[in-house]
Amino acid sequence: MKGHEYLSVLGWLGIYLPVALGAIGASIGCTLAGQAAIGAMMELEGGYGRYVGLSALPSSMSIYGIVVMFILNRPVTVENAGGLFGIGVGAGLTFMLCAIYQGICCASAIAASKAKPEIFGLSLAPAAIVEGFAVFAFVFALVTAGGLN
Amino acid sequence: MTQYITLIASLPPLGQLFEAKQTPISQLKLESRLKMLSPKDSILLNQIASLIAWSQQPMERSDAQFIAEAKQFFKEVKNPTLRKIVEYRLTLRTIVAALRRRHRGERNPPAVQPWGVGRWVNYIERHWAEPGFHLEVIFPWVLEANHLLNANESVAFERLQFEVNWKMIERLGAGHYFDFEAVVIYLMRWSMVDRWTRYDGSGELAVERFRKLVDEGMGQFTDLFAQNS
Repeated sequence: MKGHEYLSVLGWLGIYLPVALGAIGASIGCTLAGQAAIGAMMELEGGYGRYVGLSALPSSMSIYGIVVMFILNRPVTVENAGGLFGIGVGAGLTFMLCAIYQGICCASAIAASKAKPEIFGLSLAPAAIVEGFAVFAFVFALVTAGGLN
Repeated sequence: MTQYITLIASLPPLGQLFEAKQTPISQLKLESRLKMLSPKDSILLNQIASLIAWSQQPMERSDAQFIAEAKQFFKEVKNPTLRKIVEYRLTLRTIVAALRRRHRGERNPPAVQPWGVGRWVNYIERHWAEPGFHLEVIFPWVLEANHLLNANESVAFERLQFEVNWKMIERLGAGHYFDFEAVVIYLMRWSMVDRWTRYDGSGELAVERFRKLVDEGMGQFTDLFAQNS
């Protein structure tokens, strides 16, 4: 394979990885939080909706991945391949890890607020902070993508 | 990790030990929830329970057999938290066993037969004559336990052991939320709440009955090591 073909592969990886990694992370995060929600439902008599809703929170990372993919989606050239790869992989990894750790935060919030329902809102703070970091990565992926050909 | 999240989230909070009136989840329901554990975890859990759970101590098991099982556990299990949990619990039992032996008139530590587990056994034997076995700095509760035992305050003595155990479990449980250690710690705490609420019962009558049972038990059994919590 010639040099420019390698670059082409990297470019296409950069375009698609934000979606792929975001979806992988979101599926793991939602699984973690969902398992906690199921556990809580086994113990509680009602109020299931908010736990199920909370367990879906990490899915936002796959949405960020889709948006970044649309922004990066363009013909891959030797000039822009490196940039596409850097932005795509960086953003994708961030979304994946944020989704996993957000899932853990949500699972903890579900377990804690099951014991003390009055802290439900406050227990969401760690998950919201993790979301904030993902938003940083998302916004700056869009900003840096603006500089690509 | 994922296999423990549902289980942990399905267990109700236990609250504070001495404030509990009853366990928040029945034994039957708890056992049913524990079926979520993998066979490997169930085996390890049973292994731990056979060492530290009072309800799973077979009367026919000798101290020597018990010590051999404990050594086997430490040989097989490498998880630091689980090792610390079992080690601390067995150390507490060893100290209480020594206090009880001395209380019933043994002027010297047992010469031949094994009577305790852990690194403090030889140390206790060397300091047998001292009120707290010279362990006051490491285990500040020893002197109080000795005093309560000598004053025949069986309930207060038992309560002190519960307090010490509860604090130890709280300390070791820090940082464990959705893992096997968290399951073991929950079960240990549940067991303590269960036992304490049974002891506490309905006030003076229950306390008096418990005191009588403990005093009778202390008189009957010669092998005290297996009797402590």
